[in-house]
Amino acid sequence: MAMASSKKNRALKKAGFYTGLIALLTVTLFPFFIMLMTSFKSTKEAVSTNPTLFPKEWTFKHFVDIFNPDIFPFISYFKNSLVVSLTASGLAVLIAIFGAYALSRLKFMGRTTINASFYTVYMFSGILLVVPLFKIISGLGLYDTKTALIITMIVQTLPTAIFMLKSYFDTIPDDLEEAAMIDGLNRIQIIFYIIIPLSLSGIISVFVYSFMVAWNDYLFASIFLSDSLNFTLPIGLNTLFSTPDYVWGRMMAASLITALPVVIMYSISDYFIKGGATEGGVKG
Amino acid sequence: MKTIKREKSDLKLAMVLLFPSIFLVLLLVAYPMFSNIQISFFDQPINPRLDAVFVGFENYMSILSDGEFFKSLGITFLYMILAVLGSTAMGLGVAIFFNRPFKFRKLSRSLIILSYVTPSISLVFAWKYMFNNGYGVVNFLVVDVLHLADKAPLWFDNPVSSFFLVVLFAIWRYFPYAFISFLAILQTIDSTLYEAAEIDGASAWNKFKIVTLPAIMPVLITVVTLRSIWLFYMFTDVFLLTNKVDILGIYLYKTAFAFNDLGKAASISVILFIILSLVIIATRKRVKY
Repeated sequence: MAMASSKKNRALKKAGFYTGLIALLTVTLFPFFIMLMTSFKSTKEAVSTNPTLFPKEWTFKHFVDIFNPDIFPFISYFKNSLVVSLTASGLAVLIAIFGAYALSRLKFMGRTTINASFYTVYMFSGILLVVPLFKIISGLGLYDTKTALIITMIVQTLPTAIFMLKSYFDTIPDDLEEAAMIDGLNRIQIIFYIIIPLSLSGIISVFVYSFMVAWNDYLFASIFLSDSLNFTLPIGLNTLFSTPDYVWGRMMAASLITALPVVIMYSISDYFIKGGATEGGVKG
Repeated sequence: MKTIKREKSDLKLAMVLLFPSIFLVLLLVAYPMFSNIQISFFDQPINPRLDAVFVGFENYMSILSDGEFFKSLGITFLYMILAVLGSTAMGLGVAIFFNRPFKFRKLSRSLIILSYVTPSISLVFAWKYMFNNGYGVVNFLVVDVLHLADKAPLWFDNPVSSFFLVVLFAIWRYFPYAFISFLAILQTIDSTLYEAAEIDGASAWNKFKIVTLPAIMPVLITVVTLRSIWLFYMFTDVFLLTNKVDILGIYLYKTAFAFNDLGKAASISVILFIILSLVIIATRKRVKY
């Protein structure tokens, strides 16, 4: 008797837990659901005053439209975003590997100070620097170039990248390195043959973090770029939003495809990396 | 003797390896910050070919006597406090909820994090659509289904409802950061501590107070500090959502690029930098990255 009731109790508790879980996921995922469904609705249905949860008639027209350069410059924005984000995060990771190695492994005067300065810069926000950066970029003749954006994005993510990588490198035992030195490897060889392979998961998560920051940037794109041929996704899509002929289905389809690269990258890194160090945080 | 020699050779290599990082940070963070101070004492004409005019503390005087600046400062603090409290509390609650084995745990965790990893622009479009006052689903619920109001507010055109929206958006978007941080630390807590507390007859709240809270304290401080700093300087999310909530980031941006007053914008940067420095000095000892 007692056993049966405790079994029932446990089942009830379990049901309660999963109800809570579903409620939580419904609330947090609702905007994504709306985005997805609207991208499949006809233009008329999307602006109906009696909103529907699921499309009455499914249409793939909006996805076809955003990939048609005559209708929507989405591909061009996407390419620009990809070029800027890949280049910036690749370079940031490369530069950070060397810097983080020095801070993690080498003993030299000023190490603590340099460490602390990077930490301070990590808390810095891009918005504080918009005025002088705008002047510097213009002065260097880089206004309205992707290069300007790439350089800025490298600096935006570099301090975090160095911090994250340093903490990864710190976990690699010193013995490995000493053994390699006895075998005659120099420091640079050690970085490439020992440190990088052993911290590959950390390097991937730092890359994903940097990519996310660069992919999300609106601020610097909006002050450095003026020719719409150079626009990245955030600024390009926002410009389209303010034109009178925006179509909701199209904007939602574009929003989904815009989110795709980061979501895929994040899932892959999350799958491979235990704990996931992509937790550095997206700075606003 | 030997260690000194080693330190010297290490220094050379360290400088070579650190050079690109230090160079970039000096050129694009330290120098601009210094340059901000310089620009803040000048009045830069809109035409960049014309020379800037030295105006002393005039830019600072004009900001510190501008009611809009203080209004913006107040809105920013309110936004920061509400969004930090909301996202931290929600992140902690969800982490405690998740801190048990269950089916689909990993999948649910990934889904929860979705709002945090998705670019702002995508999320903002979804929210603008949901809160559209003609055909948005939120208005449909508020007016037609629940009859909470006769007419839905013009969400994005009214400062109060816009403020409510940007806070809600920030909580929804940033609670996963707190969630992941707390979940990681909760998993390190020894379950025998809870069992011991249970034997002593502690209530759920007492168990939280005696066992959970002390264990998560370092993470709690870090989450609150970093999130406060980032929200204090928020620009993108709010700028893309509405033009009715002028938090400091937007006040600065508008001064620089809508009113073309670079000198005044630079002095706002300097004032904000001073506020930031005070916060960093106050928290540096306690925040563990």
